[in-house]
Amino acid sequence: EFCSSLVGIMLLEVFLVLGTLLLYFLFSKKKEETLPFKDGWWGRGQKPVTKEDSSIRPFKVETTEEELSDLFRRLDQARFTEPLENSCFHYGMNSVHLRKVVSYWKNQFNWKKQVEVLNKYPQFKTKIQGIDIHFVHVKPPRLPEGQAAKPLLMVHGWPGSFYEFYKIIPLLTDPASHGLGDEHIFEVICPSIPGYGFSEAPHKKDFNSVSAASVFYELMLRLGFNEFYTQGGDWGWLICTNLAQIAPNHVKGLHLNMVSVSKLGLPQLLSVLLGRYFPGLFGFQDEDVRRMFPFLKKGLYRILSESGYAHIQATKPDTVGCGLNDSPVGLAAYILEKFSSWTDMEFHNLEDGGLERKFSLDDLLTNIMIYWVSGCIVSSMRFYKENLQKGIGTQKHEKLTVQVPTGIASFPNEILHIPQAWAKNKYTNIVSFHFMPRGGHFAAFEEPELLAKDILQFVDKVEKEQLWKKK
Amino acid sequence: QAILCLPRSFEYSQKNAVLVPAAALGVGGMLLYCLRSGRRMETIDMGDGWWGASERRFKGKEDASIRPFKVETSDKEIEDLHRRLDQFRFTPHVEGAAFQYGFNSSYLRKVVDYWRNQFDWHKQVEELNKYPHFHTTIEGIDIHFIHVKPSYVPHGQAVRPLLLVHGWPGSFYEFYKIIPLLTEPAKHGLNEGDVVFEVICPSIPGYGFSEAPHQKEFDSIATARIFHKLMNRLGFKKYYIQGGDWGSRITTNMAQMLPQSVKGLHLNLVFIARQSLGRLIRIMLGAYVPWLVGFSREDARRFYPFMQKNVYDVLQESGYLHIQATKPDTAGCGLNDSPVGLAAYILEKFSTWTDKSFRNRDDGGLESKYSLDELLTNVMIYWVTSSIVSSMRYYKENFSKDPDLSAHNRVGVYVPTGIAAFPQEIVHVPRVWAKDVYKNIISYTYMPRGGHFAAFEEPKLLAQDIIQFVQKVEQL
Repeated sequence: EFCSSLVGIMLLEVFLVLGTLLLYFLFSKKKEETLPFKDGWWGRGQKPVTKEDSSIRPFKVETTEEELSDLFRRLDQARFTEPLENSCFHYGMNSVHLRKVVSYWKNQFNWKKQVEVLNKYPQFKTKIQGIDIHFVHVKPPRLPEGQAAKPLLMVHGWPGSFYEFYKIIPLLTDPASHGLGDEHIFEVICPSIPGYGFSEAPHKKDFNSVSAASVFYELMLRLGFNEFYTQGGDWGWLICTNLAQIAPNHVKGLHLNMVSVSKLGLPQLLSVLLGRYFPGLFGFQDEDVRRMFPFLKKGLYRILSESGYAHIQATKPDTVGCGLNDSPVGLAAYILEKFSSWTDMEFHNLEDGGLERKFSLDDLLTNIMIYWVSGCIVSSMRFYKENLQKGIGTQKHEKLTVQVPTGIASFPNEILHIPQAWAKNKYTNIVSFHFMPRGGHFAAFEEPELLAKDILQFVDKVEKEQLWKKK
Repeated sequence: QAILCLPRSFEYSQKNAVLVPAAALGVGGMLLYCLRSGRRMETIDMGDGWWGASERRFKGKEDASIRPFKVETSDKEIEDLHRRLDQFRFTPHVEGAAFQYGFNSSYLRKVVDYWRNQFDWHKQVEELNKYPHFHTTIEGIDIHFIHVKPSYVPHGQAVRPLLLVHGWPGSFYEFYKIIPLLTEPAKHGLNEGDVVFEVICPSIPGYGFSEAPHQKEFDSIATARIFHKLMNRLGFKKYYIQGGDWGSRITTNMAQMLPQSVKGLHLNLVFIARQSLGRLIRIMLGAYVPWLVGFSREDARRFYPFMQKNVYDVLQESGYLHIQATKPDTAGCGLNDSPVGLAAYILEKFSTWTDKSFRNRDDGGLESKYSLDELLTNVMIYWVTSSIVSSMRYYKENFSKDPDLSAHNRVGVYVPTGIAAFPQEIVHVPRVWAKDVYKNIISYTYMPRGGHFAAFEEPKLLAQDIIQFVQKVEQL
């Protein structure tokens, strides 16, 4: 009965897709239209009549004794639940290991020192569309004669922050000092998505990735950049993609360390069923097959077992974030679990979740502290609802393609592998697509050198092609 | 010539005399065999288990004593709670959010204020202790239950044992209002007829005052078996069982496991059975010609529009289920540390699962059906026992093995079954579908009002339905 219903469902899907394709060809518009800029006003109450203050104010992260003692008090009173015997990380964050992390957090982690680390790069705030946008802006320490720094906008995701880029920034602003050659030198801008870290949270409903892209577009224009590169993973992937769709003439190149596609139709279904046996037919390379199959385990099962957080955040963000804004231990457990499984799925089987294999506790806790001291966990989760509430594949930007030169760095331990064959349906101008040798979801945090190299070679290709076009 | 025929006819009739009954026996025997093998009830294997901590396990006989228990509290416990309530960090909601983003933080502030300044936990503990509580060790863990007998039983009246099983995020406390209606119906204006119960409400292991399992894979089958053992230990051989939410699943498993012990099964929630192409087609047809697929008009009214009520609404409300079925230890961690977070998480369900339209109200409609005292008492049970994480693990243990909860649907339920279908239940299951699993439905009632927490919200309606169901069973 299961087999016959599976066949039945497949047939149904085939008919539906054929029908849709037919309708599409009959009524298709040119998909190369741009995404409209989304204006909005996200401040409290009504938009004031006076013109918005567009000054760019320097900003420094600060902390107080009170903040620290409040944190320690909460860490001291944390109530843990013993894990089941032999459960490792299969039920989520293991509380035995969590206790060790909390002990380090209380006794060795030095937040004052980490605040100084955060402040080593110049940070600013500026009001756009009614809310304060925080960003890091790092210029190169030195520039060879006659060369201009290329502006690069790097956008983080959840549960990350601008801090994820702290190790990769010097590789991009001063590549020569790190053995990466000085043909391309960048000035890097890392904003915080509104509702994350030190960016103000929107007070109105409906702030989605297109809103964020529009805000960041305004930011880049305000900083005086007419042309720039963008880079992103996680939500950064979507925001940068939207930005390339809104302003293709301003985005010189789009580099992504994560890709997702929302149009899964007959071709994708067939390639999932048969791609293992006829990879060439579907444009799969050997490495694609290795990463994607067996599909049930690596695709479907992985999505289901890892997307609980997305499901609840996309429906009840204010509920799920409530306790996390009150319990730093709960917040740490929730966030650290992602840094474990999204770095390597096999870390589930380790008692410590493999957390310190790729990251230092100082780095992990600094990221968590950004969520804690800014109290932004709830607003960070709302972004899921604003983007996913209406369903995947229903929004306008999901139907439009990207013509801007695109570079994709495909990391092996990313949650879901999207082959180039699928990505090129959306990203019509893929200039480089590389299988990275190691690394997971938090690419900039975990493998800054690999990512920097890929960005550099991508920019090199784009620049050379531009020169060639000019000639 | 007639004389010559006589001996022959006698021989003939003798043969008939032997053959016909023989044939009849043969055919009858075969028929009986076919009927019985068709109706031969498959049951779920009972199995066995042990859930205590490994180092505590020893080979001796388990302590089977039943020990009285009283809920207790201390000033220290209450001070700690108050301190945490005072230090709660509040996040403003977006404008116009009501309950669409989850629990509204402005209303939450009011709840916290009440909790801190008016809610009296000492008094609520006395309220909890008004019924006798007990503990007994089964399969290595302490099982908590309350056992309420009628205070007065007229001579000759039978008292029927009734096991009530709660769900998530509820507790044994959900039954406190319905218990008197079942142990002393006459006193509360509930019929006529001589159906009187003694009620047993256990806490599912990992919930409230029942010890949490220390081993993996503690699912509804294990729970069903433990509850059978509990009833047996209390001296009951045949009993009625009732449940909603997880209680529905557990009692169903109990009926599938030991049908001979279950006099009757009453449910206020039916889990949707396995989907198939045939069902998909029937769903599509049912929207236009409900009578063709066996839907009543009320079924159609509650069931359609299909996508909205069964797909969209379910997706909208099942985020908690998804994360608890995959990462319970993560999801529950912060909730065990922040009582306000715990309250928001639990009370959101008491809002939306009571009436879906409460999502559009700034206060979630909570106090229109419940008092803050009773809502917070339920939350406090999770808080003082630190059982939120273990309660969530139950989702993983049940869903991981059996993602659409259909493994035991092939084992039908043959015990007399009664279903109370409440209009605001999360998903409506028509009788014609319930029959796939429940082969012996003797009562199916469309309740006039009420949602998921039936016993808590509409105790009288539920009690009436249970009583009329039991009356029907007794007459069988």
